Amino acid sequence: MSGKPRYLSPEWKEQVEALLKSELTPEKMNHITSSMSNIYVNCPDGKNHYMFFGFVNGKLDRFLVNEGEAPQAEFKITGDYDTFAKISRAEMNAQVGLMSGKLKLKGNMVKALKLASIADRLNKVIAKVEAEF
Amino acid sequence: MKSQDPYYIDFPARIKSIQAEMDKEGLDVYLGSRLRTLSWTLDAFCPWRSYVVIPREGMPVAFTFVIDAARVGDDSWLDEDNIRGYAPMGGQDQVAQISDYIIEDLLAGKGRIGYETGLSNYLPEGNLTQYEYEAFKAALPEATFINAHFIVDQLSLIKDEGTINRFREASRQVDAGHKAVYEAIIDGGFKKLTETEVAGIASLAMRKEGSEWEWSFTGGNEIASGYRTGYTGGACTPPGRRKLAAGEPLMVDLHAMFKLGLGDHSVNYLLSPVSDRQWWHANNFVNIVKKTHQTYRAGITPSGLAAEMLSYADEQGFADYMVPGFEHGIGMMGDEWRIGKHDGPMPYWTDPFHVYQENEMLICAMQYACAEDGIGFRYEAPIVIKENGMELLPKHPLEIIEIK
Repeated sequence: MSGKPRYLSPEWKEQVEALLKSELTPEKMNHITSSMSNIYVNCPDGKNHYMFFGFVNGKLDRFLVNEGEAPQAEFKITGDYDTFAKISRAEMNAQVGLMSGKLKLKGNMVKALKLASIADRLNKVIAKVEAEF
Repeated sequence: MKSQDPYYIDFPARIKSIQAEMDKEGLDVYLGSRLRTLSWTLDAFCPWRSYVVIPREGMPVAFTFVIDAARVGDDSWLDEDNIRGYAPMGGQDQVAQISDYIIEDLLAGKGRIGYETGLSNYLPEGNLTQYEYEAFKAALPEATFINAHFIVDQLSLIKDEGTINRFREASRQVDAGHKAVYEAIIDGGFKKLTETEVAGIASLAMRKEGSEWEWSFTGGNEIASGYRTGYTGGACTPPGRRKLAAGEPLMVDLHAMFKLGLGDHSVNYLLSPVSDRQWWHANNFVNIVKKTHQTYRAGITPSGLAAEMLSYADEQGFADYMVPGFEHGIGMMGDEWRIGKHDGPMPYWTDPFHVYQENEMLICAMQYACAEDGIGFRYEAPIVIKENGMELLPKHPLEIIEIK
């Protein structure tokens, strides 16, 4: 046992949520009100998982990690578990994932552009939580 | 708001008129990609590859390259959410976005989709490419695709008052460009100038008046001097670096754009000294332009007008120098060249038997070229067809001006 939580497990989710709330102030999040679901397909357990972020005025209001169908979100990013895992280990930039077609974004692209740097900040914080993959 | 703004166009009514035609044709979606369709439906200039998806009911959604989507959204009458940007990212390329939109929001990928294809001599026409067509068919395998450009073509033929007023303003801007060129070339000023500089002088003057750009794909402002005015059969002269010279002709063909309304007017000069032979050519040209002006009215056809004018030129002994065409079509940005509804004997070319109707707009366009004498003239001017004549939008006098 490494003592690290398993990626996408309730323990991992708890650590990520605490870190997001402590590090990403409303100012750093540009006081956005938006939501995003990352949809994980081709997961090791054969099920689809999701990670949902809901921000209200820059505050993380809802953070959900679960299996099954994700709640409705303004933006939906779909990709393989392995691709998201690389992003969560800071081995890949989400922009590269999108531009190479490994991730598929649904939602208004013009609005998404405004949120690109914020999503990057989000991923950098997530990468700080070491996990078993 | 409608009555206050002379440039007001009822775009929601235009969309409803397209939807009424879609209903008649049994179309569930109209996928417009031609520049003329985008201008006519969005009220925004779309320089990047763009598309408008019109459902049978409700508001259209436009898709353009993401780097320009916010600006198009700002210019268009549509809400921000109805102008979407595509980008080279997973799920965000144009085919993925449009087909997802059609599948999810419109008809679950089934039904009849009208699209735009055809032939054009105008490079920025914007017909759907073979690749796009195949990609949409693959993304929407249960849909049927029908070439339906005729819907927009027939609806955009007769111009409303807001459109005509935009053209009037663009012509006013072109007149200002001609005034600036005239002031720069008089009193020997031409001796210091090249064709490109003349184009730039006009551009600055027109932009000061509010012109958005020199819209013509033929080179912005077309300037020709000396032998370049007389290319055989020629009517396309992007400016070159040639210096203007005494004893030569100068042709200045300016283009301004105001709210997608287009100015397009040519003025011709003879840079002194002028020979008798040059004046003979000049007078021939002015006479036939005047005669053409007098002939325009609702009820005539392009072929009828051409036959009458060429007969006149033949009687006067200069038919060999006339390019045998007297006008080209015009509409909001992207709608250029063809006349009629594109249902004439030569597909996608001007219908020679098209009967002009009141409030159609044309560019009266005539080219005279005598290559052996190194001389030529061009006349272009937007006109509105009236019941018993025509309205000439530029106010610059019709004459060939000698510059001393």
